[in-house]
Amino acid sequence: MKLLQLSSADLLECLRGSGIWLRTGPFSLRVRSRVPSVAAGLADLYGQFEVRRAHESFADFHVSVNAPNPLRRWLRPQVDFSFDGQLPFKPLPYDQAYPMLEWGLNWCVSMHAHQYLIIHAAVVEKNGGAAILPAPPGSGKSTLTAGLVLSGWRLLSDELTLIDRKTGLIHPLPRPVSLKNQAIPVIQAFSREAFINRPSHDTAKGTVAHLRPPKESVRRQHEPAPPAWVIFPKWTAGAETRLTPRSKAQTFMFLAQNAFNYSHLGADGFRVGTQLVDRTACYDFSYSRLDEAVAAFDRLADTPPWAG
Amino acid sequence: MRFQLKEYGAEAVAFDTASGDTHYLAPLALALFQLYREFPGLSSDGARHMLAQRHTIEPGLPLATQVDETLDGLCRIGLIRPE
Repeated sequence: MKLLQLSSADLLECLRGSGIWLRTGPFSLRVRSRVPSVAAGLADLYGQFEVRRAHESFADFHVSVNAPNPLRRWLRPQVDFSFDGQLPFKPLPYDQAYPMLEWGLNWCVSMHAHQYLIIHAAVVEKNGGAAILPAPPGSGKSTLTAGLVLSGWRLLSDELTLIDRKTGLIHPLPRPVSLKNQAIPVIQAFSREAFINRPSHDTAKGTVAHLRPPKESVRRQHEPAPPAWVIFPKWTAGAETRLTPRSKAQTFMFLAQNAFNYSHLGADGFRVGTQLVDRTACYDFSYSRLDEAVAAFDRLADTPPWAG
Repeated sequence: MRFQLKEYGAEAVAFDTASGDTHYLAPLALALFQLYREFPGLSSDGARHMLAQRHTIEPGLPLATQVDETLDGLCRIGLIRPE
């Protein structure tokens, strides 16, 4: 059953009661919340995802987003993210309940899914090759990711690149794409197909909203992809669209430093990371116009590294 | 073996199984590391001369300074042992 087949009333009832079971990529979640904006966010963004009644299935992560104290409902109301009954974060303003759920889910995966080497990077796929997009905040990574997935690329993840330690393949986790500040109107203007949920203002990252993942990306969320490129995007006003080959050794170092669990995995992290860099072409990518950037990526996808 | 090395052209990355640290080796560091693997007891003067011969560069002051600094760095992270 897909989440969109649940009525709003049923979804609210489930979330307030024993929770809703939700499948996202290789992980299953049990989500509970009494906060209406969490139900609205899930209904807006997770419609294509498989759901079940919480008591019907095992879940990897049991999470909830709820107000910590009923008294705070009137005085600067807040919400807590809970994982297996623990509170890993400080509470956030009540208005930020939905982004807190998304951030909390990222934390659950990055702290626990050590069957993968997990790199802090977006990843998209076309013609059978995955492009990993690691970059520091403010580099235009999420904007580019959103532009690509609205132009026919498959969303594997906008935040967590999951590299299978046995196969080297990348496992999809096509949850909503987080957009911040100016990226929100840019993506709204870029595509009429973009559905972006209600923004949350004044978060630690500014104004935040989420782009609904494409239906096809969700349908193929159990289909891993081989890595083909590691591309470091950098948005600069007025910059020409340009791909420049990049040092593989330095690419490896950046990936290792930006992996959530590289240190935890020890020598195996080194093995998986070097194999990844071995099989990919590495580039720096500068751009200022999103349509030109998408066209450059499309040309790249026509000539994957294994095509010689 | 304490170190796992992966070369990418003139550069490399090295994983230290003892500390769990990963190091980037720029071309000069990789060249020196390879030299000391071949000739473990090499002096820094000897390293400079062999580098100059192999890579047809002048064994003058800039190279001497760079080699000394790089050797210090390689010793510090344990990739080569000081004589």
